[in-house]
Amino acid sequence: MTTIEEQIWDYIDGNLDIAGQSEIEAKIAVDEDYRSAYLELKVIHQQIGEISLDEPSMAFNRKVMGLIELEIAPISLKTKVDQRIIYSIAAFFILSAATIFIYSISRIHFTVPKMTAAPALNLNQYLTPTLIRGFIFCDVILGLLYLDGWLRGKKI
Amino acid sequence: MQEQEIDLALITAVLNGNTAVYSELVTRHQRFVFTLALRFTKNREDAEEVAQDCFIKAYRALGTFRQTSKFSTWLYTITYTSAMTHLRRKKMDTVSLNDEESHIQVADTVADNRSDSLEKKSAHFYLNQAIDSLSPEDAAIITLFYKAEQSLEEISNTIHMPPNTVKVKLHRARLKLKEKLQYLLKDEVKELI
Repeated sequence: MTTIEEQIWDYIDGNLDIAGQSEIEAKIAVDEDYRSAYLELKVIHQQIGEISLDEPSMAFNRKVMGLIELEIAPISLKTKVDQRIIYSIAAFFILSAATIFIYSISRIHFTVPKMTAAPALNLNQYLTPTLIRGFIFCDVILGLLYLDGWLRGKKI
Repeated sequence: MQEQEIDLALITAVLNGNTAVYSELVTRHQRFVFTLALRFTKNREDAEEVAQDCFIKAYRALGTFRQTSKFSTWLYTITYTSAMTHLRRKKMDTVSLNDEESHIQVADTVADNRSDSLEKKSAHFYLNQAIDSLSPEDAAIITLFYKAEQSLEEISNTIHMPPNTVKVKLHRARLKLKEKLQYLLKDEVKELI
């Protein structure tokens, strides 16, 4: 439920649709509370609208332009960066990553540890090269995820 | 030619190498940028520093400006960010600007001078004083809404707040201003009613 003031402000700001405007206009015409609130807020609205902007010092523009002269002239980003260059770089990295990934997969010799009904406590039997590589691979992924989260937190 | 089109023509000229034209852009927007900065800093020297910083940042980033949006909105966003950075750097105690004590202080000061000053000074003086007593964010919202004629959506983009929050803040700020103005200008208000 909005207060009379909120409704009147919405009316003055033009935030209401045609039906809403008509409703408020009708209330202003017949309801004394709405009428007095409207007249009061209209005066306040006009007063706030008449606030004047402050002027900086006379030398402001000159000072800014003096500093601008020391800066490198800006260039439109469209002319500075060619989209084709971005796509070429992206293609190079995607291709490199895919090649490395495929090469790594092809080099792995998948072996399954021998399982016995009553396994003896011989860890060497289970620590196969595949298992160790898989374990290191998972560690690297987790490490990269952690680094990504940390860098995002640092907003680098 | 509309204001927005003039801005875009000037920006294009600067990007094409005519950097001296940037002076025209500064002239067109300096009053508003300075006023907005003043709402945060509350003193002219710091406001001028913030405004200067804002125009330099805008110049550096001019190449990234998307010419489909309003230059003024983009510039006010830079002003807001620069002013907030300045406030943080200066470690200004913004809490004291928000609390009720500052409101009472302003009212008391005004009350002391009311009898002899009200006739001499314009309503604008009291209005500016009342705006200065608001929190920097509220004062900025009032200024953006009334003087920059920005919509709630545009203000929300400028100060990085949801439009509904801006609406609530605008409403509260006007409520505070109304209370002050009713006190300061009650005779005028009554006359007009």
